[in-house]
Amino acid sequence: MITQRRLALAWAFIVCLLIGHNAWLWLGQRIVPDTDILALLPLDKRDPVLQQSFTHMVDSAQQRVVVLVGAKNWNDAVHAAEAYRKVLTPHGALLTFDAMSDDTQAGWLASLQPHALLLVGAAQEREMREQLPEFWKSDALARLYNAFSGPRIGAFRDDPFGLFAGWAQERAGETPVRPRDGRLFVAGEGRDYVLLTYTLQGSAFSLGAQDAVVPLLTQAADAARRVAPDADVVTAGVLLHAAAAGRQASSEIHTIGVGSLVGIVLLTWLTFRSVKPIGLTLLAIGIGFLGALSVCWLLFGQIHLLTLVFGASLIGVAQDYGIYFLCHRLRADPALDSTALLRRLLPGLSLSMLAAVVGYMGLALSPFPGLRHMAVFSALGLVFAWLTVVCWFPGLISGRTLKAGWLAHNYRKLMPRWPRVSKQPKAIALVLLVGVMAIGGWLQLTTNDDIRSLQSSPPELIRDQIKLSKLLDAPSPVQYFLVRGASSEEVLQREEALKSRLEVMIAQKHIAGYQALSNWVPSVRAQAERRRLVENTLLADGGPLSLLAREIGEDPQWAVDTAAHLRTNARPLVIDDFMRTPAAQPWRHLWLGAIDVGGVPTHASIVALRGLRYASLPLLASAAKGLDGVQWVDKVGGISAVLGSYRETMGWVVLGAYVVVFAVLFPRYRGRTWRVLAPTAAASLLTLAVLGYTGQPLQLFHVLALMLLLGVGVDYGIFMQEESAGGDDAPWLAVGLSAASTILSFGLLALSGTPALQAFGLTMLVGSALVWLFAPCFSVSKESIHATPVLV
Amino acid sequence: MKGLLLSLTLVVGAASAHAAAPIAQIGAMLAKPEQLCGRFDQTKRLAGMRKPLVSTGRFCVVAGKGVLWRTIKPFPTTLRLTRDEIIHMQGDRVSMRLDASQEPTVRMINGVLFSLLGGDLGQLETLFDVNGSITGQTWKVDLKARNAALARAVGAISLEGGAHVRAIQMTEESGDQTSIVFSDIKTGPGAALPEEAAQL
Repeated sequence: MITQRRLALAWAFIVCLLIGHNAWLWLGQRIVPDTDILALLPLDKRDPVLQQSFTHMVDSAQQRVVVLVGAKNWNDAVHAAEAYRKVLTPHGALLTFDAMSDDTQAGWLASLQPHALLLVGAAQEREMREQLPEFWKSDALARLYNAFSGPRIGAFRDDPFGLFAGWAQERAGETPVRPRDGRLFVAGEGRDYVLLTYTLQGSAFSLGAQDAVVPLLTQAADAARRVAPDADVVTAGVLLHAAAAGRQASSEIHTIGVGSLVGIVLLTWLTFRSVKPIGLTLLAIGIGFLGALSVCWLLFGQIHLLTLVFGASLIGVAQDYGIYFLCHRLRADPALDSTALLRRLLPGLSLSMLAAVVGYMGLALSPFPGLRHMAVFSALGLVFAWLTVVCWFPGLISGRTLKAGWLAHNYRKLMPRWPRVSKQPKAIALVLLVGVMAIGGWLQLTTNDDIRSLQSSPPELIRDQIKLSKLLDAPSPVQYFLVRGASSEEVLQREEALKSRLEVMIAQKHIAGYQALSNWVPSVRAQAERRRLVENTLLADGGPLSLLAREIGEDPQWAVDTAAHLRTNARPLVIDDFMRTPAAQPWRHLWLGAIDVGGVPTHASIVALRGLRYASLPLLASAAKGLDGVQWVDKVGGISAVLGSYRETMGWVVLGAYVVVFAVLFPRYRGRTWRVLAPTAAASLLTLAVLGYTGQPLQLFHVLALMLLLGVGVDYGIFMQEESAGGDDAPWLAVGLSAASTILSFGLLALSGTPALQAFGLTMLVGSALVWLFAPCFSVSKESIHATPVLV
Repeated sequence: MKGLLLSLTLVVGAASAHAAAPIAQIGAMLAKPEQLCGRFDQTKRLAGMRKPLVSTGRFCVVAGKGVLWRTIKPFPTTLRLTRDEIIHMQGDRVSMRLDASQEPTVRMINGVLFSLLGGDLGQLETLFDVNGSITGQTWKVDLKARNAALARAVGAISLEGGAHVRAIQMTEESGDQTSIVFSDIKTGPGAALPEEAAQL
């Protein structure tokens, strides 16, 4: 008795420490769980240059809200866009407008003029190799005489062959966006659009920012439509998707959450005629969660959101310990002291905790940090919750606290009539039939780890997103080439090698085009080569320039002077100079610059792709093969691959956990050990078959649910095999109550609209219902126990 | 994402200033025929060249169709602007083609050129500061681009005319000058020669 009180006090002290540490972490340190899925990759697979490229491509895009306001004619579009902007202008602290100065529009070509001779479009570079001087002479003549000729920059003598103009035209072709009256303009689908871009000041995932910004965007769009009734407003941004997911989650919390809470309260009341047990169970789970978080933070210094979510759900197994104790308390003689009761239950309780902890430790063997953290988190959580039950429950619950409710009275009557597994032909036939059905389901089981199948954004958001990227012909932010080298020159040369392969892909219509810094700043080698080409084909004595002079009646000196004038604009362009020009502004994100990789500076850049066809991804992936320093990056594919390898590893861990749990249980149950595990194993196998029949492809979240199912299922198995402390039906009641709570808390997630939660929920729903049904089938009546249980 | 500007890509504005009094009068003096064709004589004075470059040819402006600009001497070239493309031909060879689907500003460029040759001052006012004066049956108009990018691209433009535009003078920032004089102007159906009608 005194030891029990001491234990309770000691535990109270530890719990106070945990609460203090958590308060300090969340309120003082303001820790934020890690959300980058790729952070779950094994450490050696992570790469600082790759991470940096994600930052450049994805993170900046994440903060952006892009809006197109369009109308049948430009003036209406402009007025509607003004109305849109006016609504947002007072809220600069939330969303800042990315203004474009008039100077940027006018000045970008001027800043490149000193390098004009070296900037030649691909088509004209080819023509320089192929065409005769006569061709260039007539080309220049046409340019000379025409009043409204093609693109021309500066005076005729600055660009007599239109090379710089051709190059500028080629660069302009990399985006359909054009300045128009101090605004950005895109045309498409019979409308003229004004492009507005905003940068979000808070995080796109912050609920506060979402709540504030989304209604403003709606108001702004309404204002635009009031000004121009035919206005088409297209909005896109990560914020909108995050907000939609948040809205869905909160509406589900309202329906599913309330439903499951009401269910559990009702269930507990009908069993114990008190809701106190719920409070106690939550107390145990809560302390488990806080304890796991504290210790994990001390061990790892970080925590991933996925670890938190699944770790927390795995701790859900801890409810079983509380329920097991409570059910026995209900059935036991009220005169029996709670501490004495606990002592009697301790072997079963210890064993079920030990089995789960040992089982989860299997996760720790995987090379994936996410799974390792999850293992430690859930094992610690279970230990803390278990300790709470053992230290506190006897003190909190006395013999007279609980009274049997209606459910407790009637539920026990089911037990004796339950079918048992036996060697009777009827039973064997039934088992065989179920087995055949299961095999039928497995044969239809497929797998799918594609992250996109987990996406559940509303269709109108996806429609807007597609329309916007079509109108803007924007490059994919998640699929691109990463090019690295020892110097910026090497990077540019490698880009050029890659680009010659991409040209083939453009010709075959796999991509529409690419964006690369080397389009703007050719490598020193390429610039020298071009200089030679221009000198030899165009500027040489007796070349096109001399022919032109003769044709228009200028003396040979004119050709010499013009050539000399052109050579004044032949200063080699280097990347650092280019970055300082206004022309570089839209392309800065493609250049990663020098990154320190283990003390060695590595230079890197991104080659982005426009008009990417999904079906062409494998082909593009192979385009990088054999090119030094060029890597194909597919973040969507990367995340899917992480999910896939987690699914596979997790699958093996589940199998391994069965073996380990069996070994843990064997010393106590000997020949009956299989009976502890059989209900869970059978339920898991049948759940997989159900997934097969319903056409749900297997993914990580199903397998994680099977792991949780093993945790709860083993508890039920142990409870049913343990000698009952009170009436015969205390274990049966504990299993029923526990399973029903699991179904209400996790199983109801099957109704969720979020695919990951739905997969998890469905597995739990089917799985725990089946374990519940199967558990009594494998139990044995008291007389048939041959071996005396021994505690490990 | 931020846009790029091409020298050629005229930056179109949406200013909606009302036509000043002389501009409205000039607008009233101008006939706005469905078809307008004639001869042009062009003189270019380019920076760094001693001699002016002289060329002649024919032009046609057809409402709703586009503009055809045919240099005949000293050698044949054709520039054709329609709603969706700009084509430049040297003899029979297409030396340049700009498609509206690839170059979104094609429609704007064509609109400006159409207004320039047709003397559509109302349209030009959206882009330029327009100052005009009238002497008897003739008028003169100076156009100054409203924004820096356009000014850099086309420089200063002046137009002269009566019922039609008779002359255009363009002075670019670089110092290159172009002056064009129109004559033999015919309007109405049949103004375009059969080979011209076939091209538009």
